[in-house]
Amino acid sequence: MKSTRRWTMAAIALATGAGFAGEPLAQTKIDFFFPVPVEGKLAREMTRLVRVYNDSQKEVEVTAVYTGGYDDTKLKAQAAAKAGKPPAVVLMSANFNVDLKLSGDIMSLEPFLKAGGATREKFLGDFWPALHANATVDGELYGVPFHNSTPLLYYNVDHFKQAGLDPARPPQTWAELADAAKKLTKRDGDKIERYGFQMPGGYDYLGWLMSALSMSNGGRYFNQDFGGEVYYDSPSMLGAVRFVDDLIHKHKVMPPGVVEAGGVSTAFFAGNASMVLLSTGSLSFIRENMKAPYNVGFVPRNVRNAVPIGGASLVMFKGQSEASQQAGWKFITWLSSTETLGGWSRFTGYFAPRRSSYDTAEMKEFIARNPDAKVALDQLPFAQPWFSTYQTVAVRKALEDEVQAVMNGKKKPDAAVKDAQKKADELLRPFNDQTSLKLP
Amino acid sequence: MWRDRGLAPMLLATLVAAVAFVWAAPFVWTVVAAFRPDGAGSVGMASLVPDLNPTLSNFRNALDSGSFGLYYFNTALVVSGVLAVQCVTISLAGYAFARLTFPGRDVLFYAFLLQLMLVPPALIVPNLRTIVDLGLYDSLAGAMAPYFASAFGTFLMRQTFLAIPRDFEEAASMDGAPWWAIVWYVLLPMARPGLVAFAIVSVTAHWNEFLWPLMVINDPSNHTLTIGLAAFTRGAEGGKEWGVLAAGTLLVVAPLALAFVAFQRRFVDSFVFSGIKG
Repeated sequence: MKSTRRWTMAAIALATGAGFAGEPLAQTKIDFFFPVPVEGKLAREMTRLVRVYNDSQKEVEVTAVYTGGYDDTKLKAQAAAKAGKPPAVVLMSANFNVDLKLSGDIMSLEPFLKAGGATREKFLGDFWPALHANATVDGELYGVPFHNSTPLLYYNVDHFKQAGLDPARPPQTWAELADAAKKLTKRDGDKIERYGFQMPGGYDYLGWLMSALSMSNGGRYFNQDFGGEVYYDSPSMLGAVRFVDDLIHKHKVMPPGVVEAGGVSTAFFAGNASMVLLSTGSLSFIRENMKAPYNVGFVPRNVRNAVPIGGASLVMFKGQSEASQQAGWKFITWLSSTETLGGWSRFTGYFAPRRSSYDTAEMKEFIARNPDAKVALDQLPFAQPWFSTYQTVAVRKALEDEVQAVMNGKKKPDAAVKDAQKKADELLRPFNDQTSLKLP
Repeated sequence: MWRDRGLAPMLLATLVAAVAFVWAAPFVWTVVAAFRPDGAGSVGMASLVPDLNPTLSNFRNALDSGSFGLYYFNTALVVSGVLAVQCVTISLAGYAFARLTFPGRDVLFYAFLLQLMLVPPALIVPNLRTIVDLGLYDSLAGAMAPYFASAFGTFLMRQTFLAIPRDFEEAASMDGAPWWAIVWYVLLPMARPGLVAFAIVSVTAHWNEFLWPLMVINDPSNHTLTIGLAAFTRGAEGGKEWGVLAAGTLLVVAPLALAFVAFQRRFVDSFVFSGIKG
């Protein structure tokens, strides 16, 4: 079977080769850097996808390079570019684009759109509107969304029943969330046997969840149109930090201290936490590992329903040959096709960035079988862009350090947001000096 | 009977046992978790008590996630290659700093030691540039090259040579031995414990190294163990499969752990000799 196919391919190659008067087909080799969120299974799936692509055509040969976590990937790609070996295509955390454009590392994808006769509006038209802001920088396309997520409330159905709550109706507002968490928390004197609510407090995750909470509190978290401003010292953020502080220290329904995402999902599986805030990117992982029945709901609101997106986009690095650029774009086009994105979404639990992926028969059947994926999808119309500024990581940590101090009981929310703002403003000053504060 | 020996030794033994337990707990947990079913989390996930139905599925999953045979081979190659070159460079440099007199020797030696203060991530880009210029990008040689010289090793060998009385060399040189013969036949055999101590430090450091191999290597066939392990430890969103993680960690540390058990006596002797105590 396989050898017949190879013979047919050889025959076709010979025929086309003859057509070009014996001119050999030049194959362009490119590197594709990808991080693996979640776990090792995804690395294997990605390697498989790239093999499928390499077998499907003869012009481009892609080497799939696993590059650690999101931050490792950024570090490696930037170091390689500085050393004169820029990778052709990188799957990069979707909120690094502003930063990477400002540092001059990634290239605008507009020329490829133009060459293909498409406009940006037409190209982005099929992608969910919430993703457009993170795909573009200063009005130009820099990244093609590949897999995306939003935070989601996961809850244990058995615990809801025990506590007299309706498992079909998850808490919609912060008031309902606090109320449910109080009922779900199990106490034995001073000892707490089960917490009603828990959320990850590690770097990256915490910043993302705090932006979810401040956005559901009416805030914007950062200036979506300009990379020099964040809104940490604002009523919407102050309210969000106070809410977290209250859940831990006043209501005592959430464990104090900083727990990483891995610990939170384990606590949920083990029945030690009844409700958790985690990414939709964890859907497959939780579906496979949760023994007790669970359900999912929107992130509760105080003022409005709003969540930030997360995930990763495909970007291209500057400094490559023309041939390698063309090969890179060809690969991106294949990797971001309706079918590939749909298949990856079903495998991982991330939502597919293209709306057309959800019109395919496989996806319709998948959603019918997994109603939790439907809830994640229904929350999408409320999605907002992901935090992205000059020096994204450092500016994000400015807030995370302060909120972690609050979670550890070492600081009060009012002082925390003020200090976070001060630190962020200092980090952003060089950029503002060059832009908003540079006057004629 | 215990009355004769008094309470103090008993207390001491209890204390030592308690400290040993605290040190061993993470390792014990890793072993227990690697064989526990439901690797993603269950009520007993944090427990040190082994599960009654041990499973090998975690190891199967870990082994499936990469070509571990290749990773072992690559890592062994990197570690032994680095060590072989280092032994030559640090012995010669150590000898020069210990025995030769030349202008600026001490200044040079302290400048050499200053290297130890640099944090490795600061050197990633300059080192990578050099590696690209040398044509070693994306090769195992590139993963080894920056470590061919070692400030710590040079320091250790200098101290080791200084501790050896000069009489031996003088006797040899009176018999007409050139300097290289003195180093090879007289000094190195006496400095062996120093070299062994350094080898342990070097092998452990490069076996566990993650960042630099990740930076310099692209081709999956050149990946080392730590990069293979990162495939299941560096999750961003979502959860951790503790069981697979523990199994993968055991696979990575196993060769070093076994080597330590086999040569424990010699290791301890070397550290005692060289004055490096853990």
